[in-house]
Amino acid sequence: MNSIYVHIPFCESKCYYCGFASFAGKDNEQKKYFAYLKEEINKCKFGQSISSIFIGGGTPSLVDVQYIEDVLFLIKKHFKIEKNAEITIEANPNSIDENKLLAYKKIGINRLSIGVQSLDNRQLKKIGRLHNKQQVLKALKLAKKVGFKNINCDLLLGLEKSSFFKIKKMIKLVKKYVSHFSCYMLQVEDGTLLQTMVENKQITLPNDDKVVEIYSKVIKFLSKLGFKQYEISNFAKDGYFCKHNLNYWSRGNYLGFGLGAHSFVNETRWANGNSFGDYYSGKKSLEEKLTKNQIVEEIIMLGLRCDLGIKEKELKKLNFNLEDNKNFKVFVDKKILHYQNGIIKIDPKYYGVSNLIIEDLIN
Amino acid sequence: MNRQDKIRNFCIVAHIDHGKSTLADRLIEATGTLAKRDMQNQLLDSMELEREKGITIKLTPTRMIYNFEGTDYELNLIDTPGHVDFTYEVSRSLAACEGAILIVDASQGVEAQTLANAYLAIDNNLEILPVINKIDLPSARPMEVKKEIEDVVGIPAMHAPCISAKDGTNIDQVLEMIIKEFPAPKGDENGKLKCLIFDSYYDNFKGAICLIRVFDGKVKVGDKIKMMQTEKIFDVVEVGIFVPNPKTTEILQAGDVGYIACSIKTIQDVSVGDTITSAFDPIDKPLPGYKKVQPVVFCGIFPVDGSKYQELKDALEKLKLNDASLQYEPEVSQALGFGFRCGFLGLLHLEIISERIEREFNLDIITTAPGVYYLVHKTNGEILKLSNPSSLPSAVEIDYIEEPYVKANIFAPPEYVGAIMELCQDKRGVYQGLTYLEEKRVRVDYHLPLGEIIYDFFDSLKSRTKGYASFDYEMAGFERSDLVRVDILLNGEKCDALSIIVHKDKAYSRGRALTEKLKRIIPRQLFEVPIQAAIGNKIIARETISAMRKDVLAKCYGGDITRKRKLLEKQKEGKKRMRKIGSVEIPSEAFMSILKLDDGEG
Repeated sequence: MNSIYVHIPFCESKCYYCGFASFAGKDNEQKKYFAYLKEEINKCKFGQSISSIFIGGGTPSLVDVQYIEDVLFLIKKHFKIEKNAEITIEANPNSIDENKLLAYKKIGINRLSIGVQSLDNRQLKKIGRLHNKQQVLKALKLAKKVGFKNINCDLLLGLEKSSFFKIKKMIKLVKKYVSHFSCYMLQVEDGTLLQTMVENKQITLPNDDKVVEIYSKVIKFLSKLGFKQYEISNFAKDGYFCKHNLNYWSRGNYLGFGLGAHSFVNETRWANGNSFGDYYSGKKSLEEKLTKNQIVEEIIMLGLRCDLGIKEKELKKLNFNLEDNKNFKVFVDKKILHYQNGIIKIDPKYYGVSNLIIEDLIN
Repeated sequence: MNRQDKIRNFCIVAHIDHGKSTLADRLIEATGTLAKRDMQNQLLDSMELEREKGITIKLTPTRMIYNFEGTDYELNLIDTPGHVDFTYEVSRSLAACEGAILIVDASQGVEAQTLANAYLAIDNNLEILPVINKIDLPSARPMEVKKEIEDVVGIPAMHAPCISAKDGTNIDQVLEMIIKEFPAPKGDENGKLKCLIFDSYYDNFKGAICLIRVFDGKVKVGDKIKMMQTEKIFDVVEVGIFVPNPKTTEILQAGDVGYIACSIKTIQDVSVGDTITSAFDPIDKPLPGYKKVQPVVFCGIFPVDGSKYQELKDALEKLKLNDASLQYEPEVSQALGFGFRCGFLGLLHLEIISERIEREFNLDIITTAPGVYYLVHKTNGEILKLSNPSSLPSAVEIDYIEEPYVKANIFAPPEYVGAIMELCQDKRGVYQGLTYLEEKRVRVDYHLPLGEIIYDFFDSLKSRTKGYASFDYEMAGFERSDLVRVDILLNGEKCDALSIIVHKDKAYSRGRALTEKLKRIIPRQLFEVPIQAAIGNKIIARETISAMRKDVLAKCYGGDITRKRKLLEKQKEGKKRMRKIGSVEIPSEAFMSILKLDDGEG
């Protein structure tokens, strides 16, 4: 499978925990940025058909719909897009309205990913989000009204005063609108405002054990509601698994356009520059041809992240045999790993410590 | 003037940090031995490690030429190691000299090691030249310090040069005094060959190099020489001097300091402190003072990567050549596999050797908790000498155990006597006496078990006396003690490398402290891990490491898989320093952690 990712690095304000390539107060850069973005797409040669497009950010819903339309139009003209391709746009509850949603629908966007994070207004304020509970519910209602069926809701676990009770209440409120949840555990990234706040004790985050406890309960609760966990952080109703994400984990090709965007084609990974200057000048922030070992590592690491599991024959093609690893047997015996019909999966109970397991399998 | 009248062999002794290496640098510079641009600060401390720790471990002699009143004098500086662990090495260097410069810091005054080193020099019949250093400091009090030297050390000091080695002030005065004060060697050039090996090192091309002082006779290339202790005979392949890099010469004669190389491949054949003589015409009696050095502290050293055993063996062999005091023998541990039980002169020595193995030989190693030698008297009358806790026989077979004691002298201002006594009592010490050295300085003497002072004693002493106390010790034989072995069980499995021998009264608190410490050091694992301390079958302490529940779940945003993989690789790097005992991953530093238990805990 092949995918396209488009990065829109503009935001109204920077969330305190955000460590991604996004910028607030750079709106006057938009015109120039989209010109370069289109040029980048135009220059790209890729003949295979595309199954998913993801317009992410930053806040894609912040910029004028016309920009999005132009880019999408160009992509459709320039590449072979499959008829039933999944086309997602990321949106913030406070930057969408009915007209925007109608426009998205019209230009062929069929999936919305909404950055809800929390419905606790104090929690939202504490991490620098600009929206509130009311806006979230309004946005979801509108999306449904306009006719979006495939809607994802991003939730953050491990915010200040996080509790399962709070999250359960939130899920109950939004579940009738959405088909997909992404539940991420809050990470304190280097160089973020959140990191400074934690250091200065301006915010007290729950410890790992507490977060994992909430996470485990969330998994059970979502499963009861019919949302299947198909990856560490992702849950969806049948038929609504995110194709785009699955392509990342199954190591399909993807082309990334825009500032900081990552691409992966034929076992080579590269990424655009992380500043406007670097991006415009064509400077890459990453370029690597994967070695055999790295490929093995990735197959294991990504396969165990999700319900797809590892296909044993893919490793065997690389002359890597998991059964030679003594830890593998222990993990299978202890039912940490499930090994059936040439597919190796991690027991969902151990998603939280997958790194420990992956490491033991690679060594 | 005959040849030897123009030679002076001397060393520099001082308390740590009083500026020994800096003065050596200035002397080399002032005599033009090295151009200034070739100088590296503290040149004589040639090992990276020495420069970092600010201490001298290896001896590096240097020949300098200084013109005094129209005559060129040859000054041989023999450096000495500056730590209590290396007393024997110091004594060998001293034996190669006629004079010693005693550096005293102009503000610190006479310190414990100033005294200890001065007495060592006096015992070796050296002429002592006191030098007051660091007079550039505002707190310098040279006159008082001179008086202190006269009062405490008991040597005349009013004529002592007042210098700043750092700024190069009055260095010429020191050079002149060396020539005027120190006696010239008075060897018999035509007598039978008599040389002292005061150090050795291994050269990959030339084999073992002996650093020697010639007392009588001469030695040149082609001579057959004999080592008197090992009775081995060798052909001299090269002779030379240090300026300060090695430089070949034709001959070394009575009074000279230099080196000889004999293509010695078997490193055990060179024994530092040994006497070299002619194979054809040997002297009757070797030089006095040779001692087979006895290590006092022992620990196991294992490669982190079990397949590197041979490399570790080679590394120890090479290190032993430079270091007569290092001892090792093969050891097998259930937990750590094949390694070596090594003996050291003290904890610093242990630390230096393990760091050198890691740096110079690029080997990752695990060191187990240091311990001492015990004499185990079995009920069947047999006496075992052992240092490895896991070789201790079961309690029913033991009649009694003896442990080594030391005579410790602690120097401090009188207001700290209370704190010192409290610490020593706590360490099972027996009070021996208190001496006022002067108004502001006392010496407290204690009879202490060596096993107690190798654990954090020095650090506790420093912290309880705000750094004012210093101490030295000498071995004082073995005494009967009530000792038990405390074992550590991880996940129910005994980990032999973590066993310790302790006094019965301290077993509970040590066991508790140890399990608590291990709980902090061992990372959480996939499963819950109980940590238990036990004496025999009796559990005396227990902690539990709860199971790991979350690790780095980096979000693969926008397809940044590389970042996730890098995180994984970083985690993998960290794991390289872990050892798997049963199903439990233990960081290699855990094995040394026993040493770093806080005073209050133990």
